[in-house]
Amino acid sequence: MSRRRLAAVAALAVALGVGACSGGAASPGSSVGPVDLTIYAAASLKSVLASVQAAYGTARPAVTLTIATDSSAALETKIEQGAPADILLSADTANPQQLVDRGLAAGAPVAFATNRLTIIVPAANPASLRSPADLARPGIKIIAAASAVPITKYAEQLIRNLATVPGAPPDFATAYAANVVSREADVAAVVAKIALGEGDAGIVYVTDARSSTSVTSIDVPQASNVVATYAGVVVKASPRVTAARDFLDWLAGPGGRAVLAGFGFQAP
Amino acid sequence: MFGVAIIAALFLGLPVVALVARSIVDGSLSRALTARIVLDALWLSLLSTAVSLAIVVAFGMPLAILLARRRFRGSGLVEAIVDLPIVLPPSVAGLALLLVLGRRGLLGGPLGAAGIELPFTTLAVVLAQVFVSAPFFIRSARASIAEVDHELEDAARDLGASELQVFRGITVPLAAGGLAAGLVMSWARALGEFGATILFAGSIEGRTETLPLVVYGEFQGGNLDGSIAAAAILVLAAIGVLVAVRALHWGRALDVRTLG
Repeated sequence: MSRRRLAAVAALAVALGVGACSGGAASPGSSVGPVDLTIYAAASLKSVLASVQAAYGTARPAVTLTIATDSSAALETKIEQGAPADILLSADTANPQQLVDRGLAAGAPVAFATNRLTIIVPAANPASLRSPADLARPGIKIIAAASAVPITKYAEQLIRNLATVPGAPPDFATAYAANVVSREADVAAVVAKIALGEGDAGIVYVTDARSSTSVTSIDVPQASNVVATYAGVVVKASPRVTAARDFLDWLAGPGGRAVLAGFGFQAP
Repeated sequence: MFGVAIIAALFLGLPVVALVARSIVDGSLSRALTARIVLDALWLSLLSTAVSLAIVVAFGMPLAILLARRRFRGSGLVEAIVDLPIVLPPSVAGLALLLVLGRRGLLGGPLGAAGIELPFTTLAVVLAQVFVSAPFFIRSARASIAEVDHELEDAARDLGASELQVFRGITVPLAAGGLAAGLVMSWARALGEFGATILFAGSIEGRTETLPLVVYGEFQGGNLDGSIAAAAILVLAAIGVLVAVRALHWGRALDVRTLG
């Protein structure tokens, strides 16, 4: 512990030294010591954040990021209950807005990425799904997310959109709902159960489909697809509001966007 | 020392008291008792634990008798296997069940050929409960049956009683305390089962979403009221279990020798 701290201080000293040499003296007080930011992030951000961690370590050597992922709604609840998060990165804009509305946010939410939906099936595709219309076929086992998880709202919109496509099966939405065999706590759990082959299909983000080699995706027509906007917000109770805001701005800026794009996220 | 003892008692007692008190004071318990999701889960919990308890007794009793009465090659191994689910994290149990009984699991092929798909069904809920709760009954039953005086059973046999008569007339009454304790503890464990259920059976209202899953699901969904109410019902059930054990003088049920 103390050795790690010593190493961190040494790293910071080097970083500051480099800064001083290059003549860009940091404004006093803005970065006086090593900062550890705790980020609560939507489950669908899990893979990309590992790369964000590395990239941010290069951009801001004095700042380390500790990341906890879960469903956005669960994270919002935990923050309301006083969980020690500095930042919430949500898969929607509603959960950050709820923190703002309850007076628990410092500043306005920042939209930093968008995502789209796709349908995933196990790589072997045991139920032989070919098109989105097959989701309504009787006997298909669909793994969905719980009602409060942001993707559920988007998925329901997608289903409504698909139901209006000419040639869609009658009662498409009802038949889809009847096929749902489980409602998982977050998107990552949906991907896991499809990857295991226990479910036949699930609606997830395009970026999730890329993250697993055990699933393949069935494309959703662009006209029916739904855009999910990801927003982040700084938690008011954080003792590190300045550093947190700095991270959020970086994530929404060119540095963060480059990493996000590598994982299939788009700019808002 | 007294002060430390008080801290220990408060640490164990206060969270539970606070939870139940809050559920009553803020009215979430009374509201929840009319909420469909909680009622569905309560019914499912009662139904699934009743079935799992019946399975535990039907299959656990013969094993308990065998372990109590005979030492055989590998009996130590069988005892260890029976004890394993007690010390195994429930999430591990759920994953293991999925890898054996899941669609692509070890037995998934033959089961599928027979038209049986277990994951995401109420039967999967029951199987998860049986897996984690059976050891509590088997251990307790084995210990209490082992303590029954053989001479009494032999005397009954000498008087012409059949094996079934000996079992029902001598063994069960003499082992009743341990058997009842095993039943109660096994039921309580099944009622509280969460990790294995959510992995193996998933979560859907009315079919696989038991009370512990409502506690988690409603919390995840930001409905703290529903979560607290479902939790309070489980606390009351747990207290009921302890009261039952005490009131019926099954004090030795909580003896380490029978529950390990």
